[in-house]
Amino acid sequence: MAKRYLILEDGSAYAGEGFGAGATTSGEVISNLNLLGYQETITDQIYHNQIIIFSQPAIGNVGINHDSYESILPTAKGMVVRDVTNISTNRLSRLSLDEFLQQHNIPGISGIDTRHLIRKLRKMAGPVKGSIVDVADAHAFDQLNATVLTNRQVDQVATPKPYPNPDTGKNVVVIDFGLKHGILRQLSERRCNVTVLPWTASAQDVLNLDPDGVLLSTGPGSPLDLGEGVLEMIRAVQAEIPLFAIGLGHELFALANGAKLEALPVEYHGSSHPIRRIITNDIIYATQGQGYAVVAKSIDRNRLITTYVDLINGTVQGLRHRDFPAFSVQFFADGAPGPHESRDLFDEFMEAMTAREG
Amino acid sequence: MQNLDDLQKVLIIGSGPTEIGHETELDSATVQIITSFKRHGIKTMIIDNNPFSVALEEIQPTNMYVQAVTTANVRHIIERDQPDAILPSLGGLLAIRITQELIENGDIGRFGITILGMPASTVRQINNPAALNATLKDIQEPVIEAQIVGTEDEALGLVESIGFPLIVKPVAPRIDSNRTICDNVDDMLVALNQGFQQSRFDQCTLERSVVGYKEVEMVAIRDAADTTILISGLENVDPLGIHSGDSIVIAPPQTLNDREYQDLRDSTFHIARELGVVGVMHIHFALNPDNQHFYVTKLAPYFTRGVALAARTTGYPVAMVAGPLMLGQRLVDIKLPSRYVKQTAIMEPTIDHVSVRIPIWPFQEVPDADQHLNTAMKAVGSTVGIGRSVEEAMLKSVRSSQFSPRDVLPSVSNLTDGEMISQLIHPLANRILVLIEALRRGYDPDELSELTKIDNFYFVKLQHLLQIEKRIMDHPMDVDTLKCGRYYGFGDGMIARIWQTDTAAIRELSASADVRPTYKMIEPTGGEFDEEASGYYSTFEFENESQPLGDRTALVLGRGGNQLGPNSAAEYFTTEMLKQLKRAGYHTILMNTNPNAIAVAPEFSDKQYVDPIQLGDIRNVIQVERPDIVIVPGNRHYLTRELRKLDLNLHVLPPDQETGEPQPKRATIGVSLFVHGQHKIAAGVMDMIAPGMNQNLAQVTAFRMPAELPKADRVRLVELAKQAVSERQITGMVHVLFAPKSDKSDALAVVGVRPTRLTEMAFLSKVTGINWVRMLTRQHIGTLDDEELGEIKIDLNSTRVALMNAAFPFRQLHVLNRPGTTDQEVGATIAFGSSEALTLRNLSDTEELDRIINRTI
Repeated sequence: MAKRYLILEDGSAYAGEGFGAGATTSGEVISNLNLLGYQETITDQIYHNQIIIFSQPAIGNVGINHDSYESILPTAKGMVVRDVTNISTNRLSRLSLDEFLQQHNIPGISGIDTRHLIRKLRKMAGPVKGSIVDVADAHAFDQLNATVLTNRQVDQVATPKPYPNPDTGKNVVVIDFGLKHGILRQLSERRCNVTVLPWTASAQDVLNLDPDGVLLSTGPGSPLDLGEGVLEMIRAVQAEIPLFAIGLGHELFALANGAKLEALPVEYHGSSHPIRRIITNDIIYATQGQGYAVVAKSIDRNRLITTYVDLINGTVQGLRHRDFPAFSVQFFADGAPGPHESRDLFDEFMEAMTAREG
Repeated sequence: MQNLDDLQKVLIIGSGPTEIGHETELDSATVQIITSFKRHGIKTMIIDNNPFSVALEEIQPTNMYVQAVTTANVRHIIERDQPDAILPSLGGLLAIRITQELIENGDIGRFGITILGMPASTVRQINNPAALNATLKDIQEPVIEAQIVGTEDEALGLVESIGFPLIVKPVAPRIDSNRTICDNVDDMLVALNQGFQQSRFDQCTLERSVVGYKEVEMVAIRDAADTTILISGLENVDPLGIHSGDSIVIAPPQTLNDREYQDLRDSTFHIARELGVVGVMHIHFALNPDNQHFYVTKLAPYFTRGVALAARTTGYPVAMVAGPLMLGQRLVDIKLPSRYVKQTAIMEPTIDHVSVRIPIWPFQEVPDADQHLNTAMKAVGSTVGIGRSVEEAMLKSVRSSQFSPRDVLPSVSNLTDGEMISQLIHPLANRILVLIEALRRGYDPDELSELTKIDNFYFVKLQHLLQIEKRIMDHPMDVDTLKCGRYYGFGDGMIARIWQTDTAAIRELSASADVRPTYKMIEPTGGEFDEEASGYYSTFEFENESQPLGDRTALVLGRGGNQLGPNSAAEYFTTEMLKQLKRAGYHTILMNTNPNAIAVAPEFSDKQYVDPIQLGDIRNVIQVERPDIVIVPGNRHYLTRELRKLDLNLHVLPPDQETGEPQPKRATIGVSLFVHGQHKIAAGVMDMIAPGMNQNLAQVTAFRMPAELPKADRVRLVELAKQAVSERQITGMVHVLFAPKSDKSDALAVVGVRPTRLTEMAFLSKVTGINWVRMLTRQHIGTLDDEELGEIKIDLNSTRVALMNAAFPFRQLHVLNRPGTTDQEVGATIAFGSSEALTLRNLSDTEELDRIINRTI
C-alpha cells in the first residue's frame, strides 16, 4: 500500500498507508467513538463530505455485508483508522472494505494514531478541515485551506424523487434529508406502507398522500441552511398528522416550533452517553451523531416538552409537542449501528398513528 | 426483603483456595467490594480459608471467619452473628450453591436474610440447568433445549431427535462437574453413568451440541432501577468445544458485526432484568457464524475471570461500582474517586485498543495430565497483551505467556504433517504455535478455518505476523523494519533473536533511530474525556500519554500470569509489598500482565503498565519513569541478572526461593526467623508435613503451628536455629529445617536453611498477626526500626493451633489423586482450632488432612 498523509488545517501532517480509493480528498474531520459498525457508519449519509476518524482500532474485519448498508451510495470523504484488514471471506461478505471504498471512490488511510487525533480534535474549536493526500507539501495545504465546506449537504444526498416501499400496514410518509436505512428497516418490521418524499415536499404534497404518520429523517449538515419552507411544512403537517422526527429531523422539528439551535464545540458521534427518558426516569443508550443541539433555554414550554436528555453534556435529546401527537429524538432510534433500546420509539409512533384512527 | 438502606452487617461468602476455575480475581473483587461497603458504613464479615487472601487482610479479625466455605459453616455464622444480608457473588459457583442450600433448607427465610445481587429465585436456578432453561425459554431467549433423563432408556429414546454430537450434564451436581460431548451411543452411556452418580437427583440433561460455534461472552452491570450497561464483549478465538478458560479471548469482539453484537447485548440486558440481577452479569453465548443465530450457554450473575478481563481491558472500575449497586444505589448516583471523570460510572465503556488473553497451563508441573483442550478447563492462569492492532495485542500476549519466557517466538517445526493435522483438529495447549506453524507450511487460512472453526480473520492476522517476521529476517538491522516489527508487537528479544544479536544492540539501534514506545491510557471513554486513569500499555505511535509519576517512585515487576507453585502466595506478597511501599511514601508503579492479579487494582498501586515483563519492555518503562527503586521477583533469574548490569537500585522481592546451598532430602520441623542485624525474631516453630510421604522436602505441603513438641524442645530448636543463622550470615526471612538425627534417634538436628517460602510467609502472617511481607519490604527499603523490632513478642506456644494445607489440581486435571509437590500447588487452605482437633496423628494422608481442614467447625 502506498504511503499517504492526513493533513489538517492547523498545519499538522500524519503519515500512514493508503487504502480504498487513491484519490485526494478534503472534508470536515470528525471522530466516531462507536465500538463496532464501520460499514453502517461509512454508509450513513450524515457523514456526507466528512472524513471520519474511527476510534475502533481494527477496521474491515468482517468485510462488507449486504445487510449493513445505511445507504447504497456512501458519500463520506474518507476513513482514518489505525489498522485495516482487507478481508472478504465471511459468508455474509461479498466485498472487502478496501474494494468497497475503491468502488465508491472513497480514500482511506491506516496506520494513524487515531487516539491522538480524537484527543486533539476535542480541543480544536469549530469544524476542522482535513485532506488525505499523497504528498504533504505546501501545495496540499494551500488546496486544503482553499477548500470551502459545502452547506448543501442535504441537497446532495437526499432523494430528488419520491419512491415507495410498499407493505400492508400504516401509511407512512418519510421525508428524506439523507435517510439512513435503519429507519426504513424499523418501519418495514412494523409492516408500514412507506412513501419516501424529497425534503422539498410541501405540506400539500404530504397531505395528498393521506398518511397515517409522517417521519422526518436523519440527514447531514446544518438544519439552519435548509430555509423556511421546510419549517412551514412541518408546522402544517404536525397539526394534522402524527409526526416522528429523528436527528436532523428533530433539529428541524425544534426550529419549526420556535426553539433555537447551537453548534456543539465538537461533534459527538458515539453511543456511550447515558440518555435519560424523563417521563419514566429510565436511562438508555443510543447512537448519537450530532453537530448541533437544541438550546434548552430557547424551548417554548407552551409548545414543546423535553422528553430525553443526555446526562453527559446536558443536551436536549428528545422533544414532544404539547398539543399534537408529534415528537422527536436527536439520537438514532433505529440503532444501526449501536444499541437497540430506543427502537421502542417506533412502537410509540405506531401507537400515535393507531390512536389517531381510533 | 428488607429495605437495603437498613443493612448494617453483610456476610461475604468467600471463594476458598485458588483452584482451576478461579484464581485471585475473586479476591481482587472482594477487596474492592469491602472497600466500597466500608465507605457506605457497612460492617462486612467474610468466611474464607484461603491463607493467601488479601481480602482477609482488609477486614477486622473479629469479622473474619477463617473456616472452610461450607453450607454448615455459613449457617453457623448466620445463627451466631445474624448478618442482615449475605453476598454470594464473590465466591464463584460454590457460594451460589451454598446460598441455594440455605434457601432450600429455610435458613434464609428463618433468619430474615437479604441476598444481595439477585433474588432467591435466581440463586435457585443458576445451579439447575433445566430450571434455568425453562425460564429462559419462557422469556423467549434462545437456549439449547436440554431434556432431563433419569435412565439410559430415556436417553436412548431422545437420541434421534437431538442427534450427535450431543452433550451430557448432571443435574444439580454435588461437585464441580463438566459437560461431556458425546459422538456416539457408547460415549453417551459412559457419560450418563458418571453423570447420574454426580447428580443430587440421579438425573442428567441431554442437549444439542453447538461445538464449533463462536463463543462470545458479554459482561454487563445493572442497578436496581434497571439501568444496565455493557462493560465489554469478549470473543473466544477458539470455538465452542474448548472451555473459555482454555481459549484465547479477545476484547472487544473482532469478528462480529454490529448487529450480532447488539443482539447479544439486548439478550444480556433482557436476561439480567428478568432474573433481577443487580451488580455483575456475565453471559456466554454460542453464535452460529453461518446464520447469526445464537444460544445462551452459560449464565453467571457473579464475579468471574470474564468480569475481571472486562474490567481490566476497559479500565471501568467494575467492582468499585458493583458494590454500591448491590446495596441498592443507582448507577447515576455512584461517586467514584477523583481519578475518574465524574460520569465514568454511567458511561457505557468504549475502547480504542485490543486486548488478548492467553491461558497458562500446568502441564509442565503435571506432565501426566491429558493436554488436549476440551470442555473441561485446565488452565491455571492467564496473561494479557494490549495493543492498538490485533497483531500487536496477540503477539504481546504470546510474549507474556509461558511459550516465550525470554521474548522469543518459539517454533514447533519438529511436528510431522500428520501430527500437525491431528493437533489442529484435537488441539493441545500449544495450539497457537501449531496454528502459526500450519501457516508457515503454507496452509491456506480458509482451509485452516474450516479445520479448526477459528474465524478466518485470525489466520489472516497470524499470516500478517509471519510476513512481518519474514521481512525482519530479510532486513537485518534495518531501521524501517525495526519500526514495523515493533509496531506490530515484536519484542526487542524476538527481533534480536531473528537478527542473531542481543537486545542491547536492538536497543542501541532503536535509540539512534528514535524508535520509542508511546504509552496509551487504558480508559473507558475512547479518548472522549481527559481521564486520569492509572493503567497504561505501550504501542509505537505518535502521542505518548504517560508522564513520569514523580519523585520517590518504586517500580514493581509482577510475576505475570498465575502458574502452579507459590504463585497465589506470590500475588499476596506483591500486594502487601505494594501497600508497604505506599505507606513508606513511595509512588508505586506495577508492571504486570495478569488480568486477575489483585495488585493491578488501582487501590494498590499508583500506576500500572500492562506490558510484557521482559527486558526490553522493562527498560522502556524505566526510561519513562526513572524509578528510585526497582523490584524484581525472585523467580526471574535471567531478568535479575540482566537488570543487575544496569545502574539501578534493584531489590529482589519476593525473595529468590533458590539458594546456592544444597537442601536436605527431608525435614520434619521448621523454625522461621526474621533476621535483621542483631535481631533474630522467631516467627514460628512448625511441623512440616508431607502427607503420605516420608518427609521428603519437595513434598512438604502442609504445616502445623505450633509444632507438636514439648515447650522446652521448641525453645531449644529456636536457639539452635538462631545459631545456624548466625553461622551463615543471612538476613531476611529464613526457615531453619530440622530432621531426626538418624532413623534410630528422635533427636532433632539442623539439616538446612532456606529462605522462608512465600506460602510459609503468608501462613506465618496469618497466624502471628504480624505481616512479614511488610517487614521484609521495610528491611529492603531501610525503614525498619530497631526499637520496634525489640518489642515484637510472639507466642511460640499458643494453644490455638493453625494448619495450612496445599490444594492441588489433580482432580480437575483428571489425574490420579496423590500427595503433590510444592511446585504443583494451586492454592491452599488454612484452619485454626484446638490442639486436639488438629493433632498430627490425623494428618497422615492427604484425604484425611483435607477432611480435617475442610471440616465444619
